[in-house]
Amino acid sequence: MRREMRGIAIALMFVAVTTAVALLLRHYVGILRGAVLYLVPVMLAGYQFGVIPALVAAIAGVVLSGYLYFAQFYSFKVASPQEALNLLLFMVVAVVVSHLSSQAKQHILIARKRERQMSDLYAFSRRLAMAPSAAEIFVAIQEHLADLVQRKVVLLGTADVGHGDDVPESVRAAVARVEHDEGLERTVDDGNGNIWLIRRVSPKTPDFGLVAVDLGNVSGQPLADMRQRIDDALADAAATLERLDVARALNEAKMRSETELLREALIGSVSHELRTPLASILGAATILHNAPALAKDPRLQALTSVVRDEAERLNIDIQNLLDATTISRQQVRPKLQWVEPVDIVNAAFEHRRRRLSGYPVTFDLDSNLPIVHVDPAQVEQALVQIIDNAAKYSPVGTPIRVAAHPNGQTVMLSVHDSGSGLTAEEKRQVGGRFFRGPRHKVTTSGSGLGLWIANAFVTANGGKVEVESAGADRGTTVTIHLPLSPEAEQLETTVDE
Amino acid sequence: MSETPASVLVVDDEIQIRRFLRTGFELDGFTVHEAETGAEALRAATLQPSDLVILDLGLPDMDGADVLERLRSWSSVPLIVLSVRGSENEKVRLLELGADDYVVKPFGMAELLARAHSAMRRQLRASRGEPVMKFGPLSIDLAARAVFINDGRVTLTPKEYRLLQILAQHSGNVVTHQFLLREVWGNEHIDDTHYLRIFVRKLRRKIEADPTQPRILLTELGVGYRLVSADASPATQPAPAGVA
Repeated sequence: MRREMRGIAIALMFVAVTTAVALLLRHYVGILRGAVLYLVPVMLAGYQFGVIPALVAAIAGVVLSGYLYFAQFYSFKVASPQEALNLLLFMVVAVVVSHLSSQAKQHILIARKRERQMSDLYAFSRRLAMAPSAAEIFVAIQEHLADLVQRKVVLLGTADVGHGDDVPESVRAAVARVEHDEGLERTVDDGNGNIWLIRRVSPKTPDFGLVAVDLGNVSGQPLADMRQRIDDALADAAATLERLDVARALNEAKMRSETELLREALIGSVSHELRTPLASILGAATILHNAPALAKDPRLQALTSVVRDEAERLNIDIQNLLDATTISRQQVRPKLQWVEPVDIVNAAFEHRRRRLSGYPVTFDLDSNLPIVHVDPAQVEQALVQIIDNAAKYSPVGTPIRVAAHPNGQTVMLSVHDSGSGLTAEEKRQVGGRFFRGPRHKVTTSGSGLGLWIANAFVTANGGKVEVESAGADRGTTVTIHLPLSPEAEQLETTVDE
Repeated sequence: MSETPASVLVVDDEIQIRRFLRTGFELDGFTVHEAETGAEALRAATLQPSDLVILDLGLPDMDGADVLERLRSWSSVPLIVLSVRGSENEKVRLLELGADDYVVKPFGMAELLARAHSAMRRQLRASRGEPVMKFGPLSIDLAARAVFINDGRVTLTPKEYRLLQILAQHSGNVVTHQFLLREVWGNEHIDDTHYLRIFVRKLRRKIEADPTQPRILLTELGVGYRLVSADASPATQPAPAGVA
């Protein structure tokens, strides 16, 4: 109403300005027939403020143009029937113009609104089309609807979104009904005068969940409009979800993670199950190897060492798989204790004594290393992997050097071989899970897990593994850096003698 | 190897393991009895006491620790546990419960026999009260509390001697950190593993030719220490490194 009054006032101002212009034109230019000028304020008022201000402007225009231009100038009397007809004609034209201009404005407004809605919808569609995951699509739906109604929108009923903690208690029952497939949608009053619309995202399948939209305090046409727009948006979203085969993708993602778990579990349990028969094979082989009956025939005894050595190798492979499973399940939990670093080196060497029998091994161990606070079994296992690699990638008979030295805030345990070394490219990739140098794939068997396991164990203990090589066939040095605990030195001086 | 025919009770639910253990022990001169379950093992140990028990931890009916605990309530029979890798805590627990030693599956028969003989000798020694023990170049006169390397006297502090003495009494078998800490420093220092690290280092400097390559006082990572088996003659020494 106030808007209308303001429109009328401004329309009258337009008329006043027109009158001033008409008077100026009459006095200085001598135009005596200027009634048509009054169509300008009518048109402007109609365009800007609608029909009523335009009509007011028309009436004012008729009165003033009658006063100014018709019959006796500057009098409200109309002289002749022809002039009366002119005035009437003016009136009709003014009314039509006012109506037309206000309609034009309306149409422009509607067209603009449509355009904005369409471009919103289009942007929404594009966002849907580019969404890499269902979760992303649901976020897009939620944001788009919230933008549309400018109120709260809750998505619920799928694994990717919430479970409706934001929905008022009074609306829950309706949500449950729609959820349990009692119709596509329903509206409910939340008790505070707000209307909530609960609707399945897709009319075809409940897989995509449902939306609860707080429409606010609306009724009648605006409510119908809003519902229509929500319907449009959801239809588009549902179509996209279907087109993207999101239902299947959702299921596949679930299956993929289950397959991964299954694979891990399988590796774990198979490895575990294999250990028992392997213990029998290895035990039996050691007995046969030392059996007096076989000792007489060197060929048979050689075979028993084949059984024993291969069983040992299998055992190492199984242990590596078990370690890899533990690592990829992120179950590496170091049990820290104070350890003499040299003990770790000796234990690792002892475990691979037979493996290293063809290599002259030299030790360069500092006898006064600070004690370290690590999980001894894990660090030993890391060192064993590194020793295995040294033996694997250097020819029998070439020297291997094992060293332990302090270095600043770390203790370094390193294994140096004179073997095939690493090219720059291999050095870059080494340590990745399952990485194997292409030069060795044919000639040397292996899983490509060794350095990856070593690195995982050492990292879990706060250290790091460093690989150095001067190049292909120029040997490799792998170093484990173990962190020094600041307490170590203090501990050494507080021993109860 | 053993002078008198000894008997061993093998407790394992896997028939193939029992089979190779039976053959291995029989070839070594043992009489072998078998048990498949914990209950059967306890019954067998009661009815027909043996000189040695080999106990697998993965029994179908009972926790290995339970079997051990019940057995130890009346018997001090030498007992070796068959364990799996990566269960240091469990090994320590079983050793604390009274197991003499453990071997990790898979293992060679020679390794198991060595552990078994060490455990059996300890009992024998305890009953005979041998005064002097020899470990290659090292000899310990338990009566005189004196330690010699190649006949040269070595001076040890009382705690160093106590540590060496306990290890010598269990020679050939592992002794846990906790046991050593309790025996040498007392219950309140049971978690001070660093005491052991520092004392073992000192001890190795006095008794080992190369302290960084110990041949007598060996480390069982994460579990404890092991003094090599005491031998009848100083000529018998552990194999040097690099020999298969």
